[in-house]
Amino acid sequence: MPITVRIQTNASYSTDPELKTLEPILKTENLWKLYHAGKVEVPALRGVNFDVLPGESVAVMGPSGCGKSSLLYVIGGLAQASRGKVFVDGNDLSNMTDAERTKLRRSKIGFVFQRFNLLPSLTARGNIAIAQYIHGDGFDPHRFEVVTKLLGLEGRLHHRPSEMSGGEQQRVAIARAIINEPKILLADEPTGNLDTKNSEIVLEMLRRLNKDLGQTIVMITHNPEATTYFDRVVHMRDGVIVDGIPAD
Amino acid sequence: MMSQFVLRNLFHRPIRTLIGVLAIAVEVALVVLIVGLTSGMLQETAKRIEGIGADVLVQAPSAQVFLGMSGSPMPVKIADRLQEQKYVQSVAPAILQFNTSGGVETVWGIDPVSFRDVSNGFVFHQGRDLEGPDDLLIDDLAAKSKKLKLGDTHNLFNHDWKVVGIIEHGKGGRLFVPIHTLQDLVGARDKATIFLVRCTRPEHTDDVISEIKQLLPNYQVRPIKEFMTLMSSTNIPALETFIHSMIALAVAVGLLVIFLTMYTTVLERTRDIGVLKSLGASKLLIVRALLTETALLCFLGIVAGVGLSYLVRAGFIAAFPTLPILITYGWLIRAGLIALVGAMVGSSYPAWIASRKDAVQALSYD
Repeated sequence: MPITVRIQTNASYSTDPELKTLEPILKTENLWKLYHAGKVEVPALRGVNFDVLPGESVAVMGPSGCGKSSLLYVIGGLAQASRGKVFVDGNDLSNMTDAERTKLRRSKIGFVFQRFNLLPSLTARGNIAIAQYIHGDGFDPHRFEVVTKLLGLEGRLHHRPSEMSGGEQQRVAIARAIINEPKILLADEPTGNLDTKNSEIVLEMLRRLNKDLGQTIVMITHNPEATTYFDRVVHMRDGVIVDGIPAD
Repeated sequence: MMSQFVLRNLFHRPIRTLIGVLAIAVEVALVVLIVGLTSGMLQETAKRIEGIGADVLVQAPSAQVFLGMSGSPMPVKIADRLQEQKYVQSVAPAILQFNTSGGVETVWGIDPVSFRDVSNGFVFHQGRDLEGPDDLLIDDLAAKSKKLKLGDTHNLFNHDWKVVGIIEHGKGGRLFVPIHTLQDLVGARDKATIFLVRCTRPEHTDDVISEIKQLLPNYQVRPIKEFMTLMSSTNIPALETFIHSMIALAVAVGLLVIFLTMYTTVLERTRDIGVLKSLGASKLLIVRALLTETALLCFLGIVAGVGLSYLVRAGFIAAFPTLPILITYGWLIRAGLIALVGAMVGSSYPAWIASRKDAVQALSYD
């Protein structure tokens, strides 16, 4: 029986006295995720307890295969938890159907991926606008302008992904993720495919989103330097969180 | 936004789209041309029969509406008895022989005098009427198709005929020979396939039909005007089945190509589907996007198919002037709808698969 290491996180560790009074916007309780390889159950998450407060930025680190991505997919509602609870903005994802989780994801969660995952047939504008379309509130030109300006994309909006650099593509992906003002931005190694310079640009933009707009961010990374841009760093190993300390 | 997304997806892989459009176009053109060819031939034949100018057509009891298939089971002497009927102005017996050598056609054996009385005679482009036993009259379209000119020899039923006249098309058959020669060639001396009856006035047609029916019970006696309505695929044995089979084949080809196209599209776009799901796209939205793309692909294919149909018809008319293809708006719409339904059925399974894809697996798809 694997041992779950429960680490007190966020409020109790936060250096910000205001955060201590807030309810977590993201919370997991004894979260398990099992994958099936034939008849064998392979646990990716083994009783994870994890809290994130509104406006907090958290970096999740750990070796490959430790369950970081699984954690991100489960808290983002892309995968169903095998056991335990996941609360996003007070909604329990573990009791939701796939359709309900899709609806919640649409309004409360934004994703940024390592491989950018832009739709190749659309321009940068189209890639951002389609998120607004799916969200259902239609095209908001003001919000669009603010976000694209914030991410320095004004001059690249008519370009397709194949015509943009990796850094530009990732900025478009970030714009797409935040265009609908999600409660939580989940980033899966967003600098993994970028060179140092572009990594710094992307990380700086994530920091500005967090500091200037109060965007809650959970980011998975292998890059220790990236953690300096975040309020808190959480380490995972073998499907559990092994610590959670505030970053300097 | 959805329409922009669908449009851009459609043109993101132009070769794939082109193949899909071509498949639908061929499907539509096949349906339109097969129906158009059969109905065109039937209608054109009916028009030629109507164009003779007779009022009543008499056939043997077992005869078929497709005249060339009926043989020659009636004694030619019946013509004399028909001639005796009140309101009958003239009667022309004709023997019709189906010929498949060098093309599919019906050769009409006629008595020039009686046929002229019934039809008011041919309009001659060149030459003269039938006089000798080996004379052959050919209409202008058949002459162009067979590249025959006045004075040429043409072999039919192992017999050499001399082209003595080129006539305006639209008077029964395309090839006319003396009735006695044709009777001898097919072993039907003193027999006729049909009798064409001209009434003293067209208003007497019904009276004449009643009289003939009394005189020749069980014989098929009908006004020529009715012939147009009888010349439909439903009255020709197995033709309806043939048309339906060909349409089913065309639909199957279109459906399979669309299925394959959309299935490979879904495979290719697995990661994109994962991205859409991560953005919160519902299953319905994903299905709708793919079906809309199919519908658009189909619309382009239908437009191309209509164009292709007219193009092929123009080619056919140039190469085979005697092969009429009747393209009607009704069948263009029907062919379009058939293609659309087939395409939707073909893409529904790939769309369903796409909507059910696991988002996490889709996002990690290479």
